[in-house]
Amino acid sequence: MPITGVYFIPSNPNASTALQVITERLRAAFPNEELTPIGRWGLEQKLLRDTQGLLPSSNSNKKPSNPRYMQFLSLTHYPAHGFIYTSEPEKPIPAPNQNQNQGARGPVNAIAPDHSSTPPMVMTTIPPSSYGTLFQHFTYACQPFWNHRFTLAVPNGIVYEVGDFRVRLGDVRQTFPTARVRGTVVEIEWRGPSVVEAIPVDREDGSFDVGAGGGCDVDVEVAGIDLASSAIEESDIDAEYAATASLIREFWGRLGVEAREAILIPNVGREVKDRLRRWKKAGSGADTKVDRTGFGERAEDDPDPWSGADVARQFMEVLRFNR
Amino acid sequence: MHEQSLFASVPVHQHHELLQQLAGLTAMQPRHCLERRLIFKAYRKPGMAGRIGASQDLQQGDLQRLNKMLNGNMYYTQVVGPVSESDFGSTAPIDRDTQMAGMDDSKPYDSSSPSYDYERQPWKLEFRDIPEAGTRSAVTSRLMSSATLPRGDVVEAMNAWGYHFITEYVVEGDMFVLNDIAIFLHRVLHYPGGDESSLPRRQLPALKDMTLFEKSGSYVLQAFIIVQDGSNQETMKTASQHLFGLREQLKSAVLLEQADRLSLDTRAK
Repeated sequence: MPITGVYFIPSNPNASTALQVITERLRAAFPNEELTPIGRWGLEQKLLRDTQGLLPSSNSNKKPSNPRYMQFLSLTHYPAHGFIYTSEPEKPIPAPNQNQNQGARGPVNAIAPDHSSTPPMVMTTIPPSSYGTLFQHFTYACQPFWNHRFTLAVPNGIVYEVGDFRVRLGDVRQTFPTARVRGTVVEIEWRGPSVVEAIPVDREDGSFDVGAGGGCDVDVEVAGIDLASSAIEESDIDAEYAATASLIREFWGRLGVEAREAILIPNVGREVKDRLRRWKKAGSGADTKVDRTGFGERAEDDPDPWSGADVARQFMEVLRFNR
Repeated sequence: MHEQSLFASVPVHQHHELLQQLAGLTAMQPRHCLERRLIFKAYRKPGMAGRIGASQDLQQGDLQRLNKMLNGNMYYTQVVGPVSESDFGSTAPIDRDTQMAGMDDSKPYDSSSPSYDYERQPWKLEFRDIPEAGTRSAVTSRLMSSATLPRGDVVEAMNAWGYHFITEYVVEGDMFVLNDIAIFLHRVLHYPGGDESSLPRRQLPALKDMTLFEKSGSYVLQAFIIVQDGSNQETMKTASQHLFGLREQLKSAVLLEQADRLSLDTRAK
């Protein structure tokens, strides 16, 4: 899972978007790079809000506090799954029996400092076949608490390779409830060497796929990093994210375009740390192999169900318009 | 998607015979299945529905639509996961990072014994609407959806989505397929010791300790067809005709019939 940053430049419904400007600035800022498109990309996001929060509250002037969201996102560069990001319920329901079951996921929440006023959010990834089904389920069976507000799409974005970065840009169009232009979105992906890429993806049977990096094509050896699991700590990952974020910010700064930024947002890096934790555990000698033979239906297995969760969070952060 | 089905009750003494009849009819060996089924109920903050306040920033039509949505139906839904016989009565995989000391498992860990890993349990969200009322054909027809969820603990995501965990049970049975008809001969098992847990179990008791929901041990035979496009009257009609064909073929053994609609009501009050 590469480290990324996402920028969004809103535009007025009838004005032209910033796409042209950004492309020109890219060309001007990196005169030594050949700026030819290396591919296409696309995105679709559906945003749902809690139905109650949309009603005007009876004591007027008081803004509905803490709106809750559910966002469905699919990205063509992560075709193996779709992302669902949902606000946590205000208080845990039902009051969980604080028994040993909670212990296992104790440290997970202590990842990034959460300084947003909205409730923390839960990331889920699901196979593409379930993506539409679940969305229909929520709009059909959950009307009292989920209301589909809008659908956004980047129908044909362009991918450029600029030095150690891969840049994806495209115009964001709203397709529901009314068709209109919303602005331009830019994803900047760091393709250089990274500790994060050196953490192997764990396979279904609990073993680790060193260097194969499912879903992302950065080879660990090419990246020049060959580390034992004991050599990486969670603080190294935080440092890596911070360092790469400043590289991405510097890159964006050279373009001189004002935009809404999402890089080090709450929970970014969470899945990478989970993966590190699992890798360390496997390395410490515990037998994590699970005998799962005799298990039929495996058509939908996803080699790395959490790949792209960071960039999905970043996209959803900038595309979460309050309405 | 729509599911059309017919049901029959099968007394336990007839079970073995019927399995063989079905194997002959479908020309296949029975596929034995065990499924964990978690029941979730839609959740809404109490006392908020139907409250109407000032409407300066909302169109009247919008407000009406929102109120209609707020008073819409809410449902129970199931989260279903396949398990195998060896998962029952097995220990969790040993895990040195998490604190296992608190768990009162007195069994010594044996590395060769099979283990059940809840963190890798696959799940599907299985939704069934209340069966359609007043259908002309005599089959149970209901709107359904089935979606794969991530492996492991689904409770956190389900809570965020607006569902909370109620209880769980296990279904054991055998599956047959005959052309477009799936035939599931099954019964419900309860966990021993009642429902104290407010979370799905991380370990499963031994299969022999599971108790029968229906004390006589009888089975339910469900024959069903899943129709992708339920709005297509033609395919819906064909499906019910196929079910009637099966009913005729099994007439001498069991009586397949429509289920009582209200007994399959999934709406949450």
